[in-house]
Amino acid sequence: MDVAAMDAILAKFPTIRGNLIGILHEMQSHFNYLPEEDLRYLSKKTQIPITQIYSIANFYNRFSLKPKGKNTVCVCLGTACHVKGAERVMDEIKAQLKVDVGESTDDMQFSLEEVRCIGACSLAPAVVVNEETYGQVAPKQIHGILQKFKK
Amino acid sequence: MPTMINLTINGEKIAAPEGTSVLQAARQAGIFIPTLCDYEALEPEGTCRLCIVELSGSIRPCIRVSCIQEVKEGLVVETETERIIKNRRLILELLLGRSPYCRELLDLAGKCGVMTSRFLTGEDDDCIRCGRCVRVCRDKIGAYALCWVNRGYNRKVATDFERLSEYCIGCGSCAQVCPTGAIKMEDRGNQRRIYTWGQVVARFELEKCEKCGRYFAPRKYIDWMRRKAFKPKGIELIDLICPECLRKTERPAPAKVPFGNGAFPAW
Ligand code: SF4
Ligand code: FES
Repeated sequence: MDVAAMDAILAKFPTIRGNLIGILHEMQSHFNYLPEEDLRYLSKKTQIPITQIYSIANFYNRFSLKPKGKNTVCVCLGTACHVKGAERVMDEIKAQLKVDVGESTDDMQFSLEEVRCIGACSLAPAVVVNEETYGQVAPKQIHGILQKFKK
Repeated sequence: MPTMINLTINGEKIAAPEGTSVLQAARQAGIFIPTLCDYEALEPEGTCRLCIVELSGSIRPCIRVSCIQEVKEGLVVETETERIIKNRRLILELLLGRSPYCRELLDLAGKCGVMTSRFLTGEDDDCIRCGRCVRVCRDKIGAYALCWVNRGYNRKVATDFERLSEYCIGCGSCAQVCPTGAIKMEDRGNQRRIYTWGQVVARFELEKCEKCGRYFAPRKYIDWMRRKAFKPKGIELIDLICPECLRKTERPAPAKVPFGNGAFPAW
């Protein structure tokens, strides 16, 4: 557990009440997931029951209780992307990364996720890696895209 | 004297104190509205949706859940219209979809004329997600051992990180308030177990009653209650005596103190 990091995060918030989600956001960006010990530490520090924190961490998609890969690959499976063959793109990514949706690669480089619509239907099928959006992705481009992020 | 609000329920003129719910007003007038999640001692949360009624009069005509709808001057409430009966049946069918063998649900279904459910999922989970257990643990006991996890259809009651709870004090209130018996408490010998669908919430060793020697409550629970109970000066709480022996014991009448949740003051 990283007490220093946690204290630094907590110091950013003047009050605890109403800021729990903000704190969890910071933790998610810092650790890339929400580690159990740190959540328990947060509970102790803030006097917020751990069940309440756990409930919130469980509710939002943005929070993850399992370690996440360095890069997040998000495949849009909304209507337009679906029609334009997002399924095939997804299958290709699954095959290349050897993971299923919601999982991370063994080397912790990538996590795979699906979303229902990212509001970029004109680019269908769309794939978002971290903050970068790729449009009209064909399965054969996948390898190149993934290589770019691999270190 | 609270202000009285005049409303009409099923054609009957009723006066109810300000702040009561339509459900309470109807009950006072002897009108039956089926409910599952409503519980006298808990704040209503409106999760089961069974208590729907049709409202009109002083507000725009609509269907609302009566347990969280406050009475309003001039409100006209109908509890048995065709629309309500149809919708109530639908809600029952949906609830039965996951809990097809739940006795309380089947009873209600019988009363409301639901024969089968069109939404059977193949699951057999008596929990109807009414939230009574979570509410009692959080709001009344203040132990915060239970919480909701996940979202939508996957929503369920669990402990933190879905492991044996450190926070559970073994009072058994959750089992007491559960309308369907989905969360249970079981005492066997000197062991107490609280469990739900496949998850054991907590295990405890029970303490013996000093008088009759019966195992009756876990240490943690006794300590908790001692901390919360009101202690008049000079009088120590009589310890380790089971409720039955306590009833036979002479003791000073307890003063009434509000039973708040003192566990987590910051929350
Ligand atoms: S366990 Fe019982 S009280 Fe708790 S949500 Fe399920 S049905 Fe309601
Ligand atoms: S009793 Fe009103 S919603 Fe359950």
